[in-house]
Amino acid sequence: MTRAVLLGSRDADQRALAERLCRACVDGLDVDGAAVSVLTARTARATLFSTDPTADLLEELQFSLNDGACIEAATYGAPVMVPDMHHGTETARWPVFAAAVAERATIGALFALPLQWGAVNVGVLDLYRVLPGGLTVAGYADLLRAVDIVALLVINRLTVPAEAADREDADGWPETGSATHYEVHQATGMVLAQLGVDPVVALARMRAYAFAEQRLLVEIARDVVARRLRFTEDMS
Amino acid sequence: MNAELGDRERRIGRAFVALADTMVDDYDVIDLLDRLVGYSADLLSADAAGLVLADNRGALRAVAASSEDAELMELLQLQSDEGPCLDCYRRSVVVRVDDIAEAAHRWPAFVAALENRGAFRSVHALPLRLRGQAIGALNLFHHAPGPLPEDDLVLGQALADVATIGILSERLIRRGEVVNEQLQTALNSRVVIEQAKGVLAQHAGVDMNEAFDLLRRYVRANNLRLADVARRLTVGGLDPAVLLVSR
Repeated sequence: MTRAVLLGSRDADQRALAERLCRACVDGLDVDGAAVSVLTARTARATLFSTDPTADLLEELQFSLNDGACIEAATYGAPVMVPDMHHGTETARWPVFAAAVAERATIGALFALPLQWGAVNVGVLDLYRVLPGGLTVAGYADLLRAVDIVALLVINRLTVPAEAADREDADGWPETGSATHYEVHQATGMVLAQLGVDPVVALARMRAYAFAEQRLLVEIARDVVARRLRFTEDMS
Repeated sequence: MNAELGDRERRIGRAFVALADTMVDDYDVIDLLDRLVGYSADLLSADAAGLVLADNRGALRAVAASSEDAELMELLQLQSDEGPCLDCYRRSVVVRVDDIAEAAHRWPAFVAALENRGAFRSVHALPLRLRGQAIGALNLFHHAPGPLPEDDLVLGQALADVATIGILSERLIRRGEVVNEQLQTALNSRVVIEQAKGVLAQHAGVDMNEAFDLLRRYVRANNLRLADVARRLTVGGLDPAVLLVSR
């Protein structure tokens, strides 16, 4: 499943990534439908892709009620797994949403996985199944891996320097493993404080600088942390 | 208070009580792990201690360290490729390296990195075990070569077990998959905490070590969650100046 998501994903835009992730889930996991939505305040709320009308309905209900598993996953940045939608205690956190779902569709199980980079939520993957029941342990591990990679690919797309966007060597994040370098995260924090921007913009600025200077992102990050490099508004 | 209890026994007792106190409802797993590595270094007279967890891809990632020493973090990171910690994780056994000079043939890159820094001469890695399988490892670094006494290894393993329990019961274990979920949340929290340290380091003009101390002190004095405060510092509009006032 992870492989299916990764195949040719480097040039894919957010919508194409969402579609690939949804299709991989329906093919590889025991679920009937999937959808990816973006819920952050910065971006307009939108469903990037849904596999079928029921998946779409689930997204629409959550948007209009501003309630549900998907909203919770986006808010807390943690997976929300509901193996049995008919179980009162599992759905007690969003009774209105649960009632609205029961009225309009047959949903046995619902799983909401955040696409998360630190505190930044770039979307939520919703999976549903007509029959209740959890995912297998192996399936769930695979799903988390796929979601993790898609989150990095989306952050990658959001922060790739404009000049580098259509070049082959546009620093593909998941491959280089920069994502696990703690200096990149520390530097992101310093740059966001220097510029008064959010983490995504701070990372984008560092990547643009790294690209312009023909250096690695992690090297730029180390310079920032060591205070050899400071970002300013007028720096291009 | 028993006068016959040695100072160390008293400290061990206090550490476990404090850890148990941390593990109340809805606690912060990163905060627990952070305290735990501190106790490990202190009680086992280690010069540094660090905890790594395996991520979704099976790679080891540093989640807590007794000092935010960049070199220590790098050593922990490096072990993603080779080192006592990786062996400990893969084989789910204790790995003892009494003198790293004699281990160059086993992990050439790791030993070279250690020797370059000249700081640590012995390393012990204890597995975080769940149902016979390791989910991570606790690393103890010493400046002086030599074996860790058997008693210390037992105590170290007890601390590693507390870490495992802490990670697993952050929420109730209802399903097998909950382990993955906790690991993912803990690793993600680490990203936010690193970013928050950067915000504080920039704002207060301090290094990462002091920045983390500021964050910890504020969180503990106000009985908040580390990951929540870190999140508010990076995207939630919490003014870093607030953390400096209570300094």
